[in-house]
Amino acid sequence: MNYFPDEVIEHVFDFVASHKDRNSISLVCKSWHKIERFSRKNVFIGNCYAINPERLIGRFPCLKSLTLKGKPHFADFNLVPHEWGGFVLPWIEALARSRVGLEELRLKRMVVTDESLELLSRSFANFKSLVLVSCEGFTTDGLASIAANCRQLRELDLQENEIDDHRGQWLNCFPDSCTTLISLNFACLKGETNVAALERLVARSPNLKSLKLNRAVPLDALARLMTCAPQLVDLGVGSYENEPDPESFVKLMTAIEKCISLRSLSGFLEVAPLCLPAFYPICQNLISLNLSYAAEIQGNHLIKLIQLCKRLQRLWILDSIGDKGLAVVAATCKELQELRVFPSDVHGEEDNNAAVTEVGLVAISAGCPKLHSILYFCKQMTNAALIAVAKNCPNFIRFRLCILEPHKPDHITSQSLDEGFGAIVQACKGLRRLSVSGLLTDQVFLYIGMYAEQLEMLSIAFAGDTDKGMLYVLNGCKKMRKLEIRDSPFGNAALLADVGRYETMRSLWMSSCEVTLGGCKRLAQNSPRLNVEIINENENNRMEQNEEDEREKVDKLYLYRTMVGTRKDAPPYVRIL
Amino acid sequence: MAKEGLGLEITELRLGLPGDNYSEISIWGSKNKKRVLSDMMTSSSLNTENENGVVSSAEDESLPVVKSQAVGWPPVCSYRRQKNNEEASKAIGYVKVSMDGVPYLRKIDLGSSNGYNNLATVLENLFGCLGLGVAKEGKKCEYIIIYEDKDRDWMLVGDVPWQMFKESCKRLRIVKRSDATGFGLQRD
Repeated sequence: MNYFPDEVIEHVFDFVASHKDRNSISLVCKSWHKIERFSRKNVFIGNCYAINPERLIGRFPCLKSLTLKGKPHFADFNLVPHEWGGFVLPWIEALARSRVGLEELRLKRMVVTDESLELLSRSFANFKSLVLVSCEGFTTDGLASIAANCRQLRELDLQENEIDDHRGQWLNCFPDSCTTLISLNFACLKGETNVAALERLVARSPNLKSLKLNRAVPLDALARLMTCAPQLVDLGVGSYENEPDPESFVKLMTAIEKCISLRSLSGFLEVAPLCLPAFYPICQNLISLNLSYAAEIQGNHLIKLIQLCKRLQRLWILDSIGDKGLAVVAATCKELQELRVFPSDVHGEEDNNAAVTEVGLVAISAGCPKLHSILYFCKQMTNAALIAVAKNCPNFIRFRLCILEPHKPDHITSQSLDEGFGAIVQACKGLRRLSVSGLLTDQVFLYIGMYAEQLEMLSIAFAGDTDKGMLYVLNGCKKMRKLEIRDSPFGNAALLADVGRYETMRSLWMSSCEVTLGGCKRLAQNSPRLNVEIINENENNRMEQNEEDEREKVDKLYLYRTMVGTRKDAPPYVRIL
Repeated sequence: MAKEGLGLEITELRLGLPGDNYSEISIWGSKNKKRVLSDMMTSSSLNTENENGVVSSAEDESLPVVKSQAVGWPPVCSYRRQKNNEEASKAIGYVKVSMDGVPYLRKIDLGSSNGYNNLATVLENLFGCLGLGVAKEGKKCEYIIIYEDKDRDWMLVGDVPWQMFKESCKRLRIVKRSDATGFGLQRD
């Protein structure tokens, strides 16, 4: 089969970056499998329980970069109890024991301890990049080890993690010889920051391109930081609730003006509106803007800023921008590709007439032809609007709509929103991710099964009438990888219809549905390559298994394919069938 | 359910927070042990036909009306949710106040109040109702004031020192004395 020496083939493989493609290459023949194995640098593991570290290292001994994901997506919404799992320590231990020259570790929804970070920092001489997203279990002491021991560190990126802030001097732990930083993001740290140490660090990091500060960095420090890092491309500002005095303001604005490479702006927790104009000079260069934490800013302040951002490709905003604000976005941001509109009032108590509605969504779809990803929280929607959106934007790859009130129908016709979502899946032939909401019957799932051929991830909540709904999806969406369902009337018939299907998917989550213990047991019986987990925190259910009622409904079901059988680290309230 | 689209929900009689449109979701299988309050409400609403003739819609689908939202809904990640909570009530010192039977929410600045008596007066003025007793005087009044603390427990206003109350109070609620007996209020 090989007409070329292995080195040539390997060189060709170097140009193949995507995981999917590399996986395909490795299936061509034994020779290619072997060459691919030894040349693979980046490995992505979407579910840390699908494989174990020993087998990973066995197959890819030359790996340099590892991405691991732990808890299921619904863990973000507190549906997965603490201590469920997703511990990174065994992975780091195994990698440390082996001869893998790890350079990059990216973790999402995993439990990371200070011990793991310490071990990581001491085990890999060339370690360069640590990215932690939605992780928990560690403190700033762990960060201190990374800072102190990773001599080649280029990237430390902490996104939305639960970090215990010991208010230690972790920033001080970067040695004076550390000058290699390219990216530093500690926005999620809640405690005080040693600003002097930070300034010194930034001053000796000429390659620093991305800097995201936490709320404790004051405005004058920001000005100084930007003055010594005018090469910044990506900036996350902290929290400025007091209006700046004129002198500080001028200093800030002068510093910002010099940052002509700045393309991305975020942060803005608790920002006094008068700080925003300092950023006007660089708005025209921005391609990414995240104001989704700036709860206290009124729509019109935001609008003034956005009107200057003509090149924006990515915008994350709060719904307080209103339909009027979205109309401005639609008129201004013709390059917009991704929009996320978050609810400013999560508990939904305010009678907030200024929040966005279907009108804003339609305006965006009409004004932004390049839009392909949307996350939109709103209080009301109509089929007509969704149909219009589908017509305006047939290029959606990700479409996530969250109507705040479950079961809410089309607010004009009082009908279900089946037709609206149906129009979306029919028009958007490239749709890979979809979240549905509002009043929905089995019909919408018929549409999804019929049209959403590329769909890989589907999130369902408070929707459907019978098992048929789930069956339409499982039968129709051949590329489905992740299916997550909550509070919907799907039961055993749907669950058990095609058990083999689940081995073609990464995972299935069902909570507060109609599946029973008996159904789950039957599912698990003939599926050695599936882990079927029943999560039940209810005190009463932890005991007598001889008394258990197979007709009892399962609170939370999480099943996933795996090559390594039942995991050993599950807490007592997780039962793996 | 069919009524919802016609906007008649405002006329629907139910127990719940004013303006709380999606409180009618059942919590299937309990998650949060601290939701003592909602459990209490549920049992009291199932049994009661009180003076107002308010009856809960407990019969259909066996879903008792509970005043708290479904867990994890809306699907906002917990990090963002925390920021949202912090934003709303932190340094600014404003807390939301709701009163049973009143369809709107108000916000007051706890920071500008100097004590419980002052707070009671402010609330009386805000909602136009008299005799808002706080804690000890509560026995005489039709309404009492409760608050939600950092741990999301409901406590009776007036039990703890003022400063401690200011720091831990996340929001306030004025409820009828008669409804509150089933609240399972936490007392330190």
